[in-house]
Amino acid sequence: MTFKFALLLAATGLFAQQDNRSSALDRVAQVATVMIDGDTCRRIQTPRSAQYFLQTDARDPWRASDNFDVNDAAFIETKKTLMRLARLCPEACDVNLWMPVPSNPPRIQILIRNVHEMSQFWTWGDLHQQMPPEMRRVLDTGERVTVSRRPGMISVLAPVCDSVGDIVGLVEVVSQAGPDPRENVK
Amino acid sequence: MSEVRIYHSLLCLAVVLTTECLAGANLTALPEHFRPDPFGNIVEPDRTAGAAPATDVVLKTARAAYVSCHLVVTVAEGGNYDLELQPFPAASGIQAELYREWFHYLPSIKRYFPDALIPVRTPYRSQLPEPDNQIPKQTVQAFWLDVWVPRTADPGAYQTTATLHSGGKIVRLPIKLRVLAPIVPSEDAVAIDHNSYGTYWLADQYPALAKHLGEKFFTSDEFFGLIHSYHRIFYEHRGVFHQLGYGHAGKVGPEFAPRLEGSGKGKHVADWTMFDRHYGPLLDGSAFAATHRGRSPIPFVYLPINPEWPASFLWWGEPGYEREFVNVVSEMERHFREKGWTATRFELFFNHKKRYKGFPWDGDEVRFVRDYSYFKEYARLMKLAVPADSPVKFVFRADVSWTMERQFKELAGIINFWVCGGGEFGWYDYAPKLLKDRGDIVWIYGGTPPVTEPGSHVTTDVLRPWMWGIDGFVHWQTASPGDDPWFHSDGGGEALVYPGDRFGIEAPIPSIRLKIQRNAVQDITLLDSFLRTKKYERLKAEVARRFNDTALDEWRTPRPPLADRNPEDVSNADYEDAMPKNPKFTGIDAAAWQRVRTYALELAREAQ
Repeated sequence: MTFKFALLLAATGLFAQQDNRSSALDRVAQVATVMIDGDTCRRIQTPRSAQYFLQTDARDPWRASDNFDVNDAAFIETKKTLMRLARLCPEACDVNLWMPVPSNPPRIQILIRNVHEMSQFWTWGDLHQQMPPEMRRVLDTGERVTVSRRPGMISVLAPVCDSVGDIVGLVEVVSQAGPDPRENVK
Repeated sequence: MSEVRIYHSLLCLAVVLTTECLAGANLTALPEHFRPDPFGNIVEPDRTAGAAPATDVVLKTARAAYVSCHLVVTVAEGGNYDLELQPFPAASGIQAELYREWFHYLPSIKRYFPDALIPVRTPYRSQLPEPDNQIPKQTVQAFWLDVWVPRTADPGAYQTTATLHSGGKIVRLPIKLRVLAPIVPSEDAVAIDHNSYGTYWLADQYPALAKHLGEKFFTSDEFFGLIHSYHRIFYEHRGVFHQLGYGHAGKVGPEFAPRLEGSGKGKHVADWTMFDRHYGPLLDGSAFAATHRGRSPIPFVYLPINPEWPASFLWWGEPGYEREFVNVVSEMERHFREKGWTATRFELFFNHKKRYKGFPWDGDEVRFVRDYSYFKEYARLMKLAVPADSPVKFVFRADVSWTMERQFKELAGIINFWVCGGGEFGWYDYAPKLLKDRGDIVWIYGGTPPVTEPGSHVTTDVLRPWMWGIDGFVHWQTASPGDDPWFHSDGGGEALVYPGDRFGIEAPIPSIRLKIQRNAVQDITLLDSFLRTKKYERLKAEVARRFNDTALDEWRTPRPPLADRNPEDVSNADYEDAMPKNPKFTGIDAAAWQRVRTYALELAREAQ
C-alpha cells in the first residue's frame, strides 16, 4: 500500500466519521425544532434585564451583566428539554439555546448553555455578540445549517418557533471529537 | 516577624547611587520594602525619604519565622561577577536562601520592576547585563535574601557575610542576625487565601513539561506534583491556595471529583482514583512534609458540588435530584471519614453566575433576593446527606457583595462561611461581631496589588481583617501572570507566583510581593499572640497609628445612604462613589509595614 493511498483511506474514514456525526446531530436538531417551545423561550429573559441589556456605561462596564436576569420557570423548563435532547446524541454533546437581540446591527445571545461547555460560536463570557451569518440564515430561512469552524467540532443550527409560526430563536447542537475535559473549567 | 535595620553607606545618601558608588563593583543591601531597579535606583513607588542602599545589615526576628532583605550587586561597567553567601552555623538550624530577582518590563509605562524570584545556589556566578533578562545597560542585579530561623534556634546574635567578586575587586557585606526568644505561633492570625480556577492553565504555563509528557500530561504524577507544589508554595508563605474545579455551566474537571456512574437512585461514586491522587496528599498533609512549617492538612478546600454535580440539573425540583445528591454526598462524607480527612473544611460553594447562561440563579455575589431560595434548598439537601455527628467538617460558603447585609440575616444558620466584598463590608461595623458570635467564618475579598504600587500595599490585605476582627482575606486570582510576564508584564495584578518552567523548575516560583505578604502575616500573628497580655484595642490603635497614621474609626466607613437602597437599583458607579477616599489609605508609603514590624519587635523584646 502506498503512503498516498493509506492517507486517502484514512481521510475517507475521517470524512465518513464526520458525516455520521453530522447526521446524528442533524437528527437531534430536527427533533429540537419540534420540541422547543419558542413562546417559553421568549419569556426566559426578564423585561427588566432586557432593558439594561444593551446599555453601556463608561463608569460601570458590568451594568448589563450585573442586571442580567431570567425567569426561573421558563429557563428551567427549556433547559431540561435541551438536556433531554442532548441525551439523543450518540456521544457527548450540548444543545444550546440562542436568541436574537433586538438591535441594529443585529446581535444574538446564547441564553442557555450546558454541561460540556461546548459552542463554536460563543466567545467565553460575552453577554451578547454580533450575529454570525450562519445564524442569520437559520433565523431568516428556517433551514438547518451545519457548521464546522473549529477543528473537531460540528454544530447543527436549527430554528425554534413560537405558537404563531414565527422563528424566534435557534438551537446549536454541538459535539467535539476528543473533547477537552478541562476547557472552560473556570 | 523580623526587622531589618540598614546602616546607610556614607557614600550613598541619595536615592540614585552616586557616580562614586557606581565606579567598579559594589555590594549593598536594601530593606525588603525598597525594591531596586536594574540601574541603581529604587523603583519609583517605593521611594521615600531616607531610602538608600546600605553597607551593613542587621536583621532581627522572632523564631519560627523568616527575615528578608535585598542584596544589590552593582557592576557599573558590566562584566562577570560572583556572589557568595556564607551559611549560618549548621547547629543553629538557621538557613539562608537566595533568589535572583527578575526585572519585569512593563511596556505600558516603559519601566522595570523586580518581582519573580528565581532560587539560586551560592556562589552565584553570572554577568551584567544578565543574559536572560535582556536589559540594555543593566548595571544592577538584585537578590532576595530569605533567612529562616527555626523555633529550635537559640536566641542571640549570629553573623554571616555576603561577598562579591568582580573585576579583581572583593566587596564584603556583613549580615548580622539577632534572634529574639518569642516564637511566631504556627497558626496564622489571619488566613490569606490565593484563589485560582481549574487546571487548564498548567499546560500553558509549563510548556516544556507539557511537551515532554504529551497527552499524558494531565494524568501524570508530574501534573499532580505540580498542583501540590502550588499548595506548597502558598503554605510555606503562610497562605492558603484554592482551585475551583468546575465551570459556570457545571463542567467538573476530572481531578476535582470522583467519577460517577448511574442515574437517579442508581447514581453512585464509581472511582476515587483521580480525586485521591489530587487531594490525598493535601488532605493528610503529606504534601507539606518537606516544608519549614511541616506537615499539615490544607485548612480549606472547594467541593466540586454545583447545580449539575453530583445531581443532574435535569432532575431539579424532582425526587431524583435529592436522591442523586444525597447518595453521592453521603458517599463523599464516608470516604473522607474513612480516610481520616477531618481537619479540612470542605466548602459547599456556588461560583456560577446567571450571566454565563448555565443556570437560572446566581451562586456568586447574589444580587436578586429570590435566588436565596436555592441556598436554602442546598442546605436542606446537605442535612440529609451528612450525619449530624460527622467528624468531617462541611461548611457552606457564600461570596457576597450586593446584598450581603440582607443575606447575613436571611441566610443565618444556612451560610456559615462568608467571603465578603471588602469595601462594602466596611460599612457594617456590627457585622464582624454578629457573624463571629454565631460561629461563622468571615473573610473579605479583593484583588492583588500590582508591582506598580508600593510594596507595602499587599500588607493592607493582611492588616485589615485583623483590624476588623475577622478571619481572612482572599486574593480572587493569584496564578495568572499573563501571556508574557517576563518581557511584557501587565503588572501582575492577578499573580503572586510565576511558573518556574522558564528556569527549568517544574513548580511555581515566588514573588517579592508574596514574600512581603508572608512576612506581614508572621508579624501580625506574633502581634496577635500578645493579646494574652495586651488589650486588643490598644494593640490595634498603635498598629493603625504606625501603619498609616490613622485612628481606629478611620478603618471603618460610615454607613452610606446607598446601603439602604434596593441593591437592584444600584450600579457599580454608585458603589465607587460611596467608597472612602481617605488619602491615608490610598497613599500608603512603602515603609508602612516596617513601622508595624518595629512595634511588634518592641513587644517581642518586652516579652523576652
